[in-house]
Amino acid sequence: MKPFDYIQAPSITDACIAAAEHSPAKFLAGGTDLLIELRRGNGNYPRSVVDISFLHELRGIEATPDGLIRIGPLTTHSELSSSALLRKNASFLSSAASTIGSPQIRNRGTVGGNVMNSAACADTVPPLIALGASVTLQSVEGRRTITLSDFFIGPYKNIARGDELLTSISFSPLPSVCRSSFVKLGRRNALSISRLSVAAVLGYDRDGRIADARIVPGSAFPVWRRAREAEQMLLGEEPSDKLFTAAGKRVSEAMVSYTGRRWSTEYKEAVITILVRRALEMCGRG
Amino acid sequence: MTRVTVKTTINHRKYELAPDPNQTLLDILREELGLTGTKRGCEIGQCGACTVLIDGRAANSCLVLAPQIDGKEILTVEGLASDGRLHPLQESFMDHDAVHCGFCTPGMLMSAKDLLDHAPHPSEEEIRVGISGNLCRCTGYVQIVDAIHDAAERLGKKERIEN
Ligand SMILES: Cc1cc2nc3c(=O)[nH]c(=O)nc-3n(C[C@H](O)[C@H](O)[C@H](O)COP(=O)(O)OP(=O)(O)OC[C@H]3O[C@@H](n4cnc5c(N)ncnc54)[C@H](O)[C@@H]3O)c2cc1C
Ligand code: FES
Ligand code: FES
Repeated sequence: MKPFDYIQAPSITDACIAAAEHSPAKFLAGGTDLLIELRRGNGNYPRSVVDISFLHELRGIEATPDGLIRIGPLTTHSELSSSALLRKNASFLSSAASTIGSPQIRNRGTVGGNVMNSAACADTVPPLIALGASVTLQSVEGRRTITLSDFFIGPYKNIARGDELLTSISFSPLPSVCRSSFVKLGRRNALSISRLSVAAVLGYDRDGRIADARIVPGSAFPVWRRAREAEQMLLGEEPSDKLFTAAGKRVSEAMVSYTGRRWSTEYKEAVITILVRRALEMCGRG
Repeated sequence: MTRVTVKTTINHRKYELAPDPNQTLLDILREELGLTGTKRGCEIGQCGACTVLIDGRAANSCLVLAPQIDGKEILTVEGLASDGRLHPLQESFMDHDAVHCGFCTPGMLMSAKDLLDHAPHPSEEEIRVGISGNLCRCTGYVQIVDAIHDAAERLGKKERIEN
């Protein structure tokens, strides 16, 4: 690794000041993405690394007095996987975290790092988008809160400036009538041909018709988005194999219309159809 | 680049270190402290040969900057044996031929220790997930899974006797 200045931030404020004064700076959380990038050493190498991993106030999952779930960015994937609060209120976020990398990666890797790194295959992002989550960014200039669907602008690209620290992720719990699921193709990250995944939510009304439908595929669109086309066709309907398969096909058509045809499209089309159907089935039938 | 001061406990011994900030925990263990049991493999978090426990949880030491271990407790394969006796995991790895070339073994042992410390009676599936971040090019994993099963039983027995 090439040299850099190392700054251990004793508080959120100090971290923001350090990032502003020693720019270009990189925040260091679990390091599972950053260390690989630093070792590779190309691109815009930072002048300084601001270590936020000791900031306990950025850890943990809590229900806030105004009824939201708030997650500190330093919460690890292992902690997301085993959180009873998440299992109850957004179980697919726990499931997604439990598929990440390996136990070693889950013990160190954080949800904040996953979001900020913004890889197309970041597994916590599809559930967070389906939840309508917001992120709060802080810098010496102040604080701003943005919904995650406005945050990403492309693979590895988001609207945060280099000196902005992610300090919190929050969302409304899923209504108790809703069930959620996360499915992912292949377990090992080393399988790089495709990392397709699908996060889904289904809620039913008293007559057993679908009243809430959310589908967010991972690695399918240039920027994450809900597959509204498919969601619309589910609303008001009774669940069936045929309906779930048709929804899968609709997501796959939308994917092709956004990305165009490439060498991998034929494969991805078939797989995304099946993953969507499977994710919807896992949400259950009311 | 200025050196930083790091106070840490490694294998139950206290250290005060002054690493360069761009050194990893793996560099410190192998190059500064001569603890070469922890292996340097891929250095991108894929192989698990560098696995150690940080505050009791398995981590890839190639992905941890040395200053990040300030105030933490590190356990490496050299710290597994106690009072001159091998850890039950080490014994069962030998008994089950779970060691061939041995390159993956220190990392496997540390992942297995984290697993058994937190799930003393793991199912086969739990064992496979527990070592899913550790690659072995030699054994085919069957002996390793058997060895971990057996170690869980030995540890269970030991606990019953001690109680
Ligand atoms: C072997 C391996 C397998 C993996 N498998 C998966 C997988 O299956 N799925 C998956 O989604 N990911 C996977 N990853 C990627 C990685 O583990 C995750 O993205 C992880 O969540 C990153 O978190 P971190 O804390 O380690 O981030 P770091 O490496 O510390 O940081 C990543 C980036 O985010 C920035 N950052 C971190 N925290 C903040 C903050 N609070 N505010 C502002 N910026 C911040 C850093 O500056 C850096 O640019 C894998 C990585 C490895 C090495
Ligand atoms: S050397 Fe660290 S995971 Fe391979
Ligand atoms: S024994 Fe050779 S790599 Fe596992």
